[in-house]
Amino acid sequence: MNIKELEKLANEGVDQLPPLERRTFLRAGFAITGLFLGGSILSLSPVREAMAAVPGSAYPRDGYPYKPHYSMVMRQNLCVDCQLCMDACVKTNHVPEYGYRTIILEQKRSIGPEQQETIFVPVLCNQCNEPPCVRVCPTVATYKDKTTGIVVMEDKKCIGCKTCMAACPYNARYFSEEKRAVDKCDFCLESRLSKGMTNTACAEACPAHVRVFGDLSDPESEVYKLVHRPETVLWVLRPETGALPNVFYMNDTVA
Amino acid sequence: MKGHRKLLLALTLTLAAGFIGANLLTAEEAKEEALPAPAAQPAATDVKRLDYLGDTKVISVEPMKELFSHRSHVVKHKIACAQCHTGIFEQKWGAARDKGDYTHADSFDKGLYCGVCHNGKDAFATVGEQNCVRCHDSNMVAPERIYFQKPVRTVVFEHKGHVDMGLKCADCHPRLFESRTGAAEEQPEKFVMQALYDGKYCGACHDGKAAFASDTRCTTCHIGVRGDERRLSQNAGGEGKHGK
Repeated sequence: MNIKELEKLANEGVDQLPPLERRTFLRAGFAITGLFLGGSILSLSPVREAMAAVPGSAYPRDGYPYKPHYSMVMRQNLCVDCQLCMDACVKTNHVPEYGYRTIILEQKRSIGPEQQETIFVPVLCNQCNEPPCVRVCPTVATYKDKTTGIVVMEDKKCIGCKTCMAACPYNARYFSEEKRAVDKCDFCLESRLSKGMTNTACAEACPAHVRVFGDLSDPESEVYKLVHRPETVLWVLRPETGALPNVFYMNDTVA
Repeated sequence: MKGHRKLLLALTLTLAAGFIGANLLTAEEAKEEALPAPAAQPAATDVKRLDYLGDTKVISVEPMKELFSHRSHVVKHKIACAQCHTGIFEQKWGAARDKGDYTHADSFDKGLYCGVCHNGKDAFATVGEQNCVRCHDSNMVAPERIYFQKPVRTVVFEHKGHVDMGLKCADCHPRLFESRTGAAEEQPEKFVMQALYDGKYCGACHDGKAAFASDTRCTTCHIGVRGDERRLSQNAGGEGKHGK
């Protein structure tokens, strides 16, 4: 059937369409605007605000709850696993050998018949807005800092039950024998931010500027500009957990 | 002592002094003659005198690390200074390298520099694997794969693959890369992606036209620390995760 015949079909209206079907397309960024031939043809229209129409997945739209609202954007396509960020983190935060505060994961993906490409994904504590680790801690040894939004650890209260390690969707926590408490990335709050520096050790060490750290509530910051760039696809890891992470991933042009 | 005996003694002493003095003078003159004058050519047959030249080794680092031994040429084979200096080689360290044509293709094959004698007839030629090691440190076999660890870990380069594609040595050496292990990594501040975008190193072909652009398909060459660790554990014959 060609386009001329398609144009002559009558639009049967979208009211009869099940909401699950509409939601599936909304998640992909399309709104269904028409139904043809008893549902075998749907007309779709791209909708940028689609995510807001899916309940429970919206981020707070009335401003940011923290000042500064620290977050990180990963320009993932540029990561080449040189691990200079990991070395800088270990050196700055005295991370022991058996644990890590940040890590680079490797994924092999097929991009065609018999063709594979390697992707490197940097992972660290996502400083979630609804952290599962805070929810499960029995002693309130970990909590979300009221000013910066960073999920911080109070070592003296930690009893080493490791429930937070199990709860974390990103495996970002490890038990530190030296501190006798669970340790994790704190966006270099203790080692750098509290001392006046404005960038994390990993973001500064990356030679390809893969990690962009900053204040999401400041419209002049690079993270704000990257997150709000028009026509850009951003994603987070494991959104289905409902943790509302503060670390975003994107594929950026080389610069 | 009697008067005429005194006179005789005095006379003998004077003569003796004069004789010894004359001898001393002659000896000094002889010593001056014995030192080779800087501009004069020492006789090629006088091995002992030329031994001071034998300690001189000319070690060239660019374009390729090689060793030239004055001892074997001057002392052993008794080649006179004038045979090489200054017609073929300037007596100045680094002069040949600075001229820019001191390469196998430019010099040896055209009969310049070492190629004047090392042409297969007067002395061994530059072809044949067993001859490479006589000047170079190694037998100059093309490597299969090269792993760069600087400025970032790790970048893999399929040397054999590129050669099998039909590229000749002169396509890359020495214009883009020195034929020396570790040469590019010695200047990590220069061996950066921007240099590739400017057409240097790999960027001469990987510009999007002759081959894929160097700002795409990053992980083709950048295997990362994980890729390097995998290679090292495989080389050590370690068992893979599933016993492979």
